[in-house]
Amino acid sequence: MAEQVTAALVAGILLGCLYAVVAMGLSLIFGIIRVINFAHGSMFMLFLYLGFFLWHLFGIDPYLSIIIIVPVAFAFGYGVQYVLVRPMFLREKAYVLEPLGVLLLLAGLELVITNGVLLGFGGASRGIVGSSISGVIHWGFIIVSRPRLIVALVGIGLSFGLHWLMNRTELGNRIRAVGQNREASAICGINVHRIYAITFGLGCAVSAFGGCAMLPFYTLVPGVGMGLAIKAFIIVVLGGLGSVRGALLGGIIIGVVEAVGGQFVPGTMAVIISLVIFLIVILAKPKGLMGLIEV
Amino acid sequence: MKQGTETKTLPQRSRIRQFPFSGIIAAVVLVVLIIIPFVLKSPYFVHIFIMIFLFGYLATAWGLVGQSGQLSFGHAAFFGLGAYSSTILYMETGLSPWLGMLVGAIVAVIAGAIIGYPTLRLRGVYFALATLAFCAILQMYARATQFIGPFTLGSAFGLWISPFSGAEGPLYFQFASKTPFYFIALGMLVGAVSVSYLLNRSRIGYYWTAMRSDPDAAESLGINVGRYRLRTLLISCALTAIGGSFYSQYYYYITPSQVLDLGLSLKIVVVGIIGGWQSVLGPLIGGFIIIPIDEVLRTQFGSSVPGLHLIIYGIVLMLIILFVPKGVNDWVMRGLRWIDTKHWRPSENANDKLERQ
Repeated sequence: MAEQVTAALVAGILLGCLYAVVAMGLSLIFGIIRVINFAHGSMFMLFLYLGFFLWHLFGIDPYLSIIIIVPVAFAFGYGVQYVLVRPMFLREKAYVLEPLGVLLLLAGLELVITNGVLLGFGGASRGIVGSSISGVIHWGFIIVSRPRLIVALVGIGLSFGLHWLMNRTELGNRIRAVGQNREASAICGINVHRIYAITFGLGCAVSAFGGCAMLPFYTLVPGVGMGLAIKAFIIVVLGGLGSVRGALLGGIIIGVVEAVGGQFVPGTMAVIISLVIFLIVILAKPKGLMGLIEV
Repeated sequence: MKQGTETKTLPQRSRIRQFPFSGIIAAVVLVVLIIIPFVLKSPYFVHIFIMIFLFGYLATAWGLVGQSGQLSFGHAAFFGLGAYSSTILYMETGLSPWLGMLVGAIVAVIAGAIIGYPTLRLRGVYFALATLAFCAILQMYARATQFIGPFTLGSAFGLWISPFSGAEGPLYFQFASKTPFYFIALGMLVGAVSVSYLLNRSRIGYYWTAMRSDPDAAESLGINVGRYRLRTLLISCALTAIGGSFYSQYYYYITPSQVLDLGLSLKIVVVGIIGGWQSVLGPLIGGFIIIPIDEVLRTQFGSSVPGLHLIIYGIVLMLIILFVPKGVNDWVMRGLRWIDTKHWRPSENANDKLERQ
């Protein structure tokens, strides 16, 4: 029993890092722009499809496709912010953003992307077979698949990389300045809308980077985006909206609850437990475990 | 301008805002709607009207939450709870769905309280995300579960009500033709719009206005924002669950992918937004716009082009939010007011011009 639980614990941590990859980008965007990217899951799904077709049509290895997908994801996020969300910021009066309006706007985008992919590629599930890294590692009784381990390492690496970017670089300073006080940053000569667009692009690029690492074992259907997005929403609230490392922590908690809980109760019940945890955290500590944003 | 004229114009101006023919127009529309099923014999048209009423009703119920300044992406959850409650009670205990409907409303109110109590106190998107997650998780649970305790839930295959076997007839919410359903749906719609109208006129309506424009200021004036939002949500949940029970009796067949689906939540949202959430008549107008388009698209392209109607929802949603954020209702009201000031009350119009100078 103890062995099973330990194995489930390891599997849960790996699964949690996978969720965290999606949640991190979402949390970054929320922390700076204060916009929940409702379409994050479907955009993520779109990048996964891009990776799949790069492999399917040109035989590009998923790990290699990072150099194509990450810039595309950045450009896509930049465009969404600049074309769709910016007009909402320009329209608002007295610098109070109507967050629900943006949420609805991005919900519309979610519908268009998800069903556009369904329309274009059909609902059949797809997956990559035979990438450069495969197989499993045995640590005693624990068996870990190599691609999943890589996703976990990528997730942890991304969270530290983002932390470095935000705290140690000029761009990071600007982004954090805009996140703290938009008007004051604008007075200091920062182009706020450009920073917003960069942040949005960065959030998409981070998630897409992790998505490339997921490709070798992940099964793709158009609905996969919304499923991941709902988990990511729970995770970012749990970890604290706006905190990238909180997203990693929240992801690992949810992953462990699902995997370890799944040992004792049916899988769907374990998912319900994660919702209950979410509600308890909101009730007791609305800022989340590592939250930056006052509510 | 002299002091005297100014005080004279004020009451007239406020009367313009309360647009004078609303009662007449409402009566005419209602009479037309009552005549329709006797003129249009085609069941297909009657069906479309039933769907317009049902979604107008659901969007009105959903819009109550919007009027209190929050956004729910999970109303399908409450809808599904209503549908499942009345159906399970009818199948297991033979309880009439008319009563099961009320049990469903209570179940939905309890669920709404569990989701709403922690999240509605908070500003921002917590409530929207929690309802979204609740809806998705409820659907997952219903899909995977065959039995809860003694009751059959039917997993992904859902539940069939076999009509006209055993307890049957109007007392058990079963009708042979669509016409009774038409009038029930119309009655529900009129009821929901009246609830919305009356709440708007009451104290809570003023609280809504204050809460959605600035929750902090409302709080500082002594309005318990969380409490009133929760009350609004509970009313909305009860109404939505009744809509769910109606749906299950209308189709005699429910599955998790119909009644607990996020797509249904978003459909309610789109209907509400197009008409203008945060207004009384907006959701109803939205129903009249989006449901006929939806039905035609689904019957024409539903099988050959999957997801097309959802793409159109998405595009419409984005366009409305970007260009008509107050919804079509705003245009309608402005148009009526324009007619009012231009053609029916030239004298007041002149006063209006005077004041602007």
